Parts: sequence; structure tokens; C-alpha cells
Amino acid sequence: MTQIELRNVNKFFGAVQVIKDVSLTVNDREFVVFLGQSGCGKTTTLRAIAGLETVDSGEILVGGVPVQDTRAEDRDIAFVFQSFALYPHLTVYENMAFPLRAVGTPKAEVDVTVRRVAGVLQISGLLKRRPSALSGGDLQRVAIGRALVRNPKAMLMDEPIGSLDAKLREEMRVELKRLHVEQGSTTIYVTHDQIEAMALADRIVVMHAGVLQQVGTPEEIYTNPVNLFVAQFVGSPVMNVCDVVVGDGVVTLAGAAEGFAMPQALTQQLQAKVTLGIRPEALEVVLEPSAGAIGAEVHLVESLGSHDIVDLRIGQALVRARTRAGLVSGPGLRVYVKADASRAHFFDEAGQSLGIRV
Amino acid sequence: MAAVRTKGEMLRHRLSIISLLVILALFLAPIFWITATAFKPRNLATTVPPTVFFQPEFSPFVKLMTKRSQLRSAPTAEVYNAAPWWEQTVFDGGEKVVRSGKGEVQLSGFPSRFLNSLIIAITSTVLAVGMGTITAYGFSRFKVAGEDDWLFFILSTRMLPPVVVAIPMFLMYRVVGLNDTHLGLIILYTAFNLSFSVWLMKGFIDEIPKEYEDAALVDGYTRMQAFFRIVLPEAATGIAATAVFCFITAWNEYAFALIMTNKRAQTAPPFIPSQVGSGLPDWTVIAAGTFLFLVPVAIFTFLLRNHLLRGMSFGAIRK
Ligand SMILES: Nc1ncnc2c1ncn2[C@@H]1O[C@H](COP(=O)(O)OP(=O)(O)OP(=O)(O)O)[C@@H](O)[C@H]1O
Ligand SMILES: [Mg+2]
Repeated sequence: MTQIELRNVNKFFGAVQVIKDVSLTVNDREFVVFLGQSGCGKTTTLRAIAGLETVDSGEILVGGVPVQDTRAEDRDIAFVFQSFALYPHLTVYENMAFPLRAVGTPKAEVDVTVRRVAGVLQISGLLKRRPSALSGGDLQRVAIGRALVRNPKAMLMDEPIGSLDAKLREEMRVELKRLHVEQGSTTIYVTHDQIEAMALADRIVVMHAGVLQQVGTPEEIYTNPVNLFVAQFVGSPVMNVCDVVVGDGVVTLAGAAEGFAMPQALTQQLQAKVTLGIRPEALEVVLEPSAGAIGAEVHLVESLGSHDIVDLRIGQALVRARTRAGLVSGPGLRVYVKADASRAHFFDEAGQSLGIRV
Repeated sequence: MAAVRTKGEMLRHRLSIISLLVILALFLAPIFWITATAFKPRNLATTVPPTVFFQPEFSPFVKLMTKRSQLRSAPTAEVYNAAPWWEQTVFDGGEKVVRSGKGEVQLSGFPSRFLNSLIIAITSTVLAVGMGTITAYGFSRFKVAGEDDWLFFILSTRMLPPVVVAIPMFLMYRVVGLNDTHLGLIILYTAFNLSFSVWLMKGFIDEIPKEYEDAALVDGYTRMQAFFRIVLPEAATGIAATAVFCFITAWNEYAFALIMTNKRAQTAPPFIPSQVGSGLPDWTVIAAGTFLFLVPVAIFTFLLRNHLLRGMSFGAIRK
């Protein structure tokens, strides 16, 4: 039973505040992903949980016990480093056995455990090699193996697959998920890749500039982003965001002749000027004029094989829509766009979601 | 790794090999000279032009190690044949080995001076490198108030040439009874090498990613264990390079050794030239002493050569 809890944690590097009043509970056996841009404090938060970094105020609890004054070596938390940190002078076997030797595990048991974990990670053939003779994917498996051998209270992984190529990343993602299901250890995983986060997480924690923006399941984060940052950080391509004028049953993009039709029950709750957020897949492009569709000019077409992303000019605004492959022939074409009101988001000037939905 | 080369590069490659061979020959010439002289009979040591081909002899080494006197008359065949082979080589040179009343061979000063050199150089190297590594680790890994000032201060101890401080040191050493002792020279050389060792080791330890230790810490090792099990092996290259430099400095040191010691703790460097002054110099003996003096450094450097090569290019090649 290992629950990790952060209570109002603050951390400064000199005058710079890197973690700002972060409170979070990670439940036993949960897989939580920290998602955020480079430099937002993800690594620092993980290091604080592991005891490699002190915090300036606030409490960190592991399994209900405050650990601020517990040294890293006594916290029993495994850490997979962003840079792997495999010891170059030791073989893969010795690297993986290293944590076991710390607690004086009998030799025979070390051997059994290392070979079992190596088997799970499919690196049994590499045990005699040194890290310098391994590929990026192998290094990563060894780094994870070193964390897995000892059944820690919790696993912290700092962008473990960030440096791999796309295909390998996908494979490792699946493998990590499988390992977590098998081992069931409480895991905090750091990434700046939102697809990775969506694929792996039980819950996602979106961070920005040291502040937690939103905590929720991938679906929650995706369908109900609390602010513009989360809305635009999660989802690919990025959610369209435009200033709109709200009329009675109609929402008009700045400078556009016509507006998207929206239910009156919705528009009545909105002020005259708000920010509309709508994902590309919530916009439907048709070639012929039809009821509720407004005119738009095709600006650019990106063919992605399974689907196309079309850049459209509506009034002064540029929006992107997702269409089936080959629907729109090319730039300059006149098309018609419908917006799915049930998937429209509205934000105030500060970028906070108004929480007004159909 | 064989990279693809153009013709121009091949030519340049050959030219650089040739020039390297020339430079090598230039540097090896004095060493060859000393080595050759150490094995020459005395009458061939100073011929002009120098003798290149000769029957190598062992007598200079025997003469180096023993006390000798001139033979007034050739030894009788009985005496000659009873003598061991090394003593015969001395007889051949017109000298005899001095023996005590009981017939024990009287050793010259060289063996004990050589031993002094070994004791003092090795001990001071171990101390300087050991203390330097720990100090450098502290400077590298922890926030030390006034770090840059401390490091500059440490380096500044190296700024005065030894001759300048030798006399005051001698006076102080005399007061505390450290002159002409092994301990005195060991302290002196350790202090002298320490600044160098700290600076060099700091560079090497800075290069070791902190995350190695972080990984060891989360794996359940204490910082001390992490230092011994991770930092030290990773710094082996740097330690080897630093040790070679410190050893060579201590081994070759002349000025302090000359002033601070005269008998008990005298090292080989001041002893060898002192032999030049006594009567007509026997250059083969001096060459033999110099040759033996070169050997430990050569062995030491040879043993550590792999580390050294990596150490020299450390930081230049990123892993
Ligand atoms: N030891 C340190 N001293 C001073 N500033 C630091 C230190 N470590 C990190 N920072 C700063 O703290 C901020 C957060 O760093 P952190 O490493 O936690 O970011 P991150 O979210 O992990 O980024 P990335 O995705 O690039 O790994 C950055 O602005 C960084 O420059
Ligand atoms: Mg990071």
C-alpha cells in the first residue's frame, strides 16, 4: 500500500520558484503521468519525491509517512533517470544487480532476480555487455530493469523513452503499460509527449511553470480542459482557439460574415465576447452549402494518410479541421464548415474555462 | 575505426607518421645514450666519436652499488677465480670491491638513496592523490562558501618556485626536527603536489555525471558507498593520470631534496650528481644510476598507460 502525497510543496532554486504550491495524491498502484513543457519542473518534482532534492516548504508523504527528513537511500523508491544513469564501468548484469547488493541480498537470489527481470525485459542476451555497447532501446530497458529488480515502494520514471525513435517508443509504451499491469507498483511517469501521457496514464497531471493546471483521467483532460493551456497542450492537432462574438443562437468568429449555429440554451449563458475553443475533429467540412454550415476558404491541406488536416480561413481567423483523406482537393477551394456545439469550449479573458457546455 | 580517406588525406597521414618517427627518434636519443653508456666499459664511455657497437658490460651497475678502491696490483689468479662473476667485472676494470674485515661487501650510498626515493615518492603520491580526490569531490559536489577563492588559494601555494621557499622551510624544519627525515620530505612533497592533485581531480570528477550518484542513492547506497563504488571507479582514469604526475614530480624533485636532506633521507636525485665531483668521474657509473632512476617512472607510466591516454583526452571526447 504505497500512496504518495504532496501537500503544498514549494521549491526555489535561488530566487526562481520551480514548484509552486503543489498538492497531489497518487493512489496505491496508480500510474500517474506528469505532463508539461520543458522546464516546467517535472524532474524537480520527481527528484523531490525521491529525496534527491530538498523542498523549501510543504510535506511529502510516502505510504502515509512524511519523508522530508528521510534520505534518498532510505526512501525505497526506484528512479529511472532521464539520462538512464547506467554505470559505464559495470556490465548490464552488475548494473541491474547493484540495487540488490545495496541491501545485501544473497548471491543466489541476486542471480535469480536479475535473470528473471532480464527475461521479462528481453535483455537476457545482453547481461555481459557494458552500457557503451548497447543501443538506446537496450539502455532504456536496462535502466527500467534496474528499477524493477527490487520491488520498490514506488517507481519514478523521468522521460525514460524520450530519446528513442518513434517506433521503438510505441513498443516501449506498450511494454511499460504491460509491466505496470503485472507489477502494479505505484508509478509516476514524466513526459512532455501528450500521446504518451494519454496512452499510459490512469491519471494525467498537467504542469505549467511549476503549477499544477489540471489533474484527471486522460478523457477528462481531453474533454474538459480547465483552461486554455491544458486545452492547447493536450490533443493533436492543437485545439482551435478564437475570439468570438456571441449572438442569439449564433457564435461568430471575428470578421466573419456568418456564425456557427449553437443552441440558444447555450448562447444565453454566455457573455457577448468570449473565447471559443474547438478541436479540429469537432469541425465538419462539407463541399456543398448546407444548413448551419458557414463558408470558408481552404488555405492549406496536410495529408496524413488516414486523414487530412485542413487549414481554413473564416473571416480573419484561421482554423484547422480534420477531414477524411482526400475530401478537400487543395488550397483556394470554397468549402462549408459546421461546428459540433456539444464539443465547443468557452473560456474567459484569463483563459479559464467557463464550464458552460451543451 | 577505419574511416574512408581521400588521396590527400593518405599522403598527409603518411607525412605525419614520418614526422612523428623523427620526433620520436629525437626524444629517444638521450635515453638511448644514457642506456648505452650504462652498459659500456669505462674506456669506451667518452670516446669521440661515440662508440655505438660494443660488448655490453654489467660492471657499471656493480660499481654503482658498491664501495670500491683502485687496485695497486692485479689480483692473483686464486683471488680472481674465487670471486663471484660480478666482482670479477670490477677487477677487469682495474678496481676492487671494498670488503669488511669479515669479508662482507660494502655497499655504496646508492641502494639506500634509491630506496628513500621510492618510499618518499610513493607515500607522498598516495597521500596527495588520496587527499586531492576527496577534496576535489567536496568542491565538485557540494556548495562550498567561497569556492573559487579557496581553489585559487590552493593553487597559489604552487606559484612560488621551490628554491624560493626552500631556505625558510629548511630553517623551520630544523626547529621541528624534520630535516633529513623521510616524514619531512613526504610532507613537503604531499603539500607541493596537493594543489595540483585537487585541481586535476576536480576537473575529472566534474566530468562524472551527478546522476550516477543519484542513482546509487535511490538504489539504497549511502553517499559514502556511492563515492567508493561509483565515483572512484569512474574517476580511475583521472586518478591514474594525477598519480603519474605527482609521482614524477616527487621522484624527480631536486631542490628541496638537496637542501633538506644529506644522509638518512637523501633521495637519488641529489646523490647521482654528487658522484660526479669525487675524483675523475666514471661516467658509466653515473649513467647506470640515471638508467636505474628512469626505470620506476617508465614502469609506472607503462602500467597506467591505458588510463593515461584516456585521461589526456578526457573531456575532449563525450560519451
Ligand atoms: N540545480 C538547479 N539549479 C538551478 N535551477 C535549476 C536546477 N535544476 C533545475 N533548475 C531549473 O528549474 C526549472 C525546472 O527544471 P526541471 O528539470 O524540473 O524541468 P523539467 O520539467 O524536467 O524539464 P525537461 O522536460 O526539459 O526535463 C528549469 O527552469 C531549470 O532551469
Ligand atoms: Mg526533466
